[in-house]
Amino acid sequence: MPDTRQSILNRLKAAPSCPVAQRPQMPPFRERSMDAAQLIETFVARVAAQGGVTECISQSALFESMAALLAQEGVTRLMLTPDSLLEPRQWIAWGQTNGIEVMTPSDFPDRTEYTQAVFDRVQAGLTGVDFAVAESGTLVLAHDASQARLVSLAPLLHIAVVPATRIVPVYESAIEKLYTLTRRPSQVTFITGPSMTADIQATPFKGMHGPRKLVVFLLDACAGHQPS
Amino acid sequence: MKVTTERFKTIALEELANARTQKFLQILPKTLSARRQAAYASFPDPQAAHRYGAAIRADAVARLPELLERFEKNALDNGAKVFWASDAQAANDYIVNLAHAQGVRYVTKGKSMITEELGLNDQLRDSGIIPWETDLGEFIAQLLDRPPFHIVGPAINIPVEQICDIFMQKGVLDAPTLDPVALGLAARLFLRDKFRDLHMGITGVNIAVADTGTVINVENEGNIRFNKSSARTLVCVMSLEKVVPTMADALHMLRVLCRSATGQSAGAYISMDSGPKKSAEIDGPEELHIIVLDNGRSALYADPQTREALRCIRCGACLNACPVYGKVGGYPYGWAYSGPMGQILTPALRGLADSSDLIRACTLCHRCKTICPAGIDHPELLLYYRAKDVQADPLLKGHGAGSAEQLAHRVFALIAGHVLYWRLLTKGVRMITDRFADGPVIHKIARLAPGWFHSRDLPALARKSFHERWREKEHVTDGGAHAKKGSTLD
Ligand code: SF4
Repeated sequence: MPDTRQSILNRLKAAPSCPVAQRPQMPPFRERSMDAAQLIETFVARVAAQGGVTECISQSALFESMAALLAQEGVTRLMLTPDSLLEPRQWIAWGQTNGIEVMTPSDFPDRTEYTQAVFDRVQAGLTGVDFAVAESGTLVLAHDASQARLVSLAPLLHIAVVPATRIVPVYESAIEKLYTLTRRPSQVTFITGPSMTADIQATPFKGMHGPRKLVVFLLDACAGHQPS
Repeated sequence: MKVTTERFKTIALEELANARTQKFLQILPKTLSARRQAAYASFPDPQAAHRYGAAIRADAVARLPELLERFEKNALDNGAKVFWASDAQAANDYIVNLAHAQGVRYVTKGKSMITEELGLNDQLRDSGIIPWETDLGEFIAQLLDRPPFHIVGPAINIPVEQICDIFMQKGVLDAPTLDPVALGLAARLFLRDKFRDLHMGITGVNIAVADTGTVINVENEGNIRFNKSSARTLVCVMSLEKVVPTMADALHMLRVLCRSATGQSAGAYISMDSGPKKSAEIDGPEELHIIVLDNGRSALYADPQTREALRCIRCGACLNACPVYGKVGGYPYGWAYSGPMGQILTPALRGLADSSDLIRACTLCHRCKTICPAGIDHPELLLYYRAKDVQADPLLKGHGAGSAEQLAHRVFALIAGHVLYWRLLTKGVRMITDRFADGPVIHKIARLAPGWFHSRDLPALARKSFHERWREKEHVTDGGAHAKKGSTLD
């Protein structure tokens, strides 16, 4: 095998080198010069443009709003990935008093049982995010031991809890923090709206393979925290 | 997948007569072009963003060997395995052997042009492994054994009746329905079982990052994320030109790619993988295999002109801009790559032997060139291929001009090189054309060049040639010095 590698590289290196013009200036971003309120507004608009739903609430209203959403969506079983705002024990206890079965990936003895649960048992996945990017209304999730990949993918409903302080202007702001000299997450996912397709007769619909609905609870984003 | 590039004309004629194809061609390219334009408007300076993307691709192609080495080193550091495949056979063998070693009976696949280039599905099937395409459009195209109609909507032209039939036949659907959404959801359920118990997933790669050894995929459905999250073993196949220098470059390319392909500022899902899952992670692949595919690319890299084709990021924008694609659709191009993208890539990768019509099915209108986010000059490249074809270029396997054509050019060169012969020729030609002129135009000349006259007229020749008129003018003004000078003109 090393031979193939070497002969490919040799052929590429033997080819005449062509001068490339100097790179032009990196084009500017509007989002970089926005203040916090404008970033929030842009983020919310872009999530909506891609078919997602944002609810602006105060952090103290999170449990209450969650209960309302789950009732409306008919969700009784939920899997969550822990986050500073999603403390599993607290949510499991809350679930018990609200008739919601709350589980986390680490509740399962092995991958197979976890997979079965996240595919077939739960009706919703609840996650935090590492960042939320204003430029395209994108949630950024760095997957690691506490952020399992399938929780935001396999259930039909994905609920993301986003403190307004995690909104950043552009992708670069998030990526620079996530990839450092000592750390490269095994996977980083950008989520912009729910899963969708228009592959049959150009008829668009949501929930092709992943979630049909994406709800973002945006915490402490609105003056007076009025639900929008 | 059968390669039918040499039947371009036949299939194009069929498609021109196909009402359904024509219906979709009136809508799809126009809609996608309009969406692309609207999405580009979200850049503060669309032209600058466009130029910057093209500069990244130029840079990446120019620095290819160095970037590939850096990519490989970082990918290995991340814990991925990297396999360099010289051709399709090597890549297919690697995947088939891996599947056998892991004892899998089926694999799932994310939409990828590159595995179509490999003909991977046929190879897997021949080895007793079932490949399931999981992108809805690809899934339908696979069941029907059709090439992709459009890179963004591979089966968008297939009537619901036909989808219903094939779904019933293959056990995807329990009861017939013609509702597109119900059909889509049936496919969701069917493929969900495959994802749940998945052992091995295969995807392409949209962008690879040299600095971090990361492979990036863009999609809207979520099937690629399932392939990358649920599978125990993940194989990502990348053609070697997919690499860009830095993460910042990748982010900018994502911006122009999503806008150019579907008119979105971002696809629903963009996943960036740096190595397999870490041991404490509960999902994600335990093994990540990255296949770097050459398949002729390192050879064509030697030619600075053909090398330009490697800049392509497979966004599909040129398909939507192309007046030829807009009439004949994706099938005539006969391989994984259609539209102008196919016209520049197929000859580069497969040679000119089968692609005579492909490189000539172009009006040189330049719309593809203007729209291409990778900065490719398609018309220039097509003219280059045409020249290489008549020159019987050995590397590109050009045909060479036929003996009649060669003779005609030799005779013409002889005549055009002598004043007397030339005057006789023009006189003779005028006598002939005068007989066929219909007022100011000529619609045909006996049985001469029917192909040429098929779609165009020739203006009738003027009563007198420039030289004849010049000489007459000299008589009128009667300048002796002029006469001498003038006579040197011819
Ligand atoms: S040739 Fe240019 S416009 Fe066409 S698919 Fe490739 S990158 Fe896109």
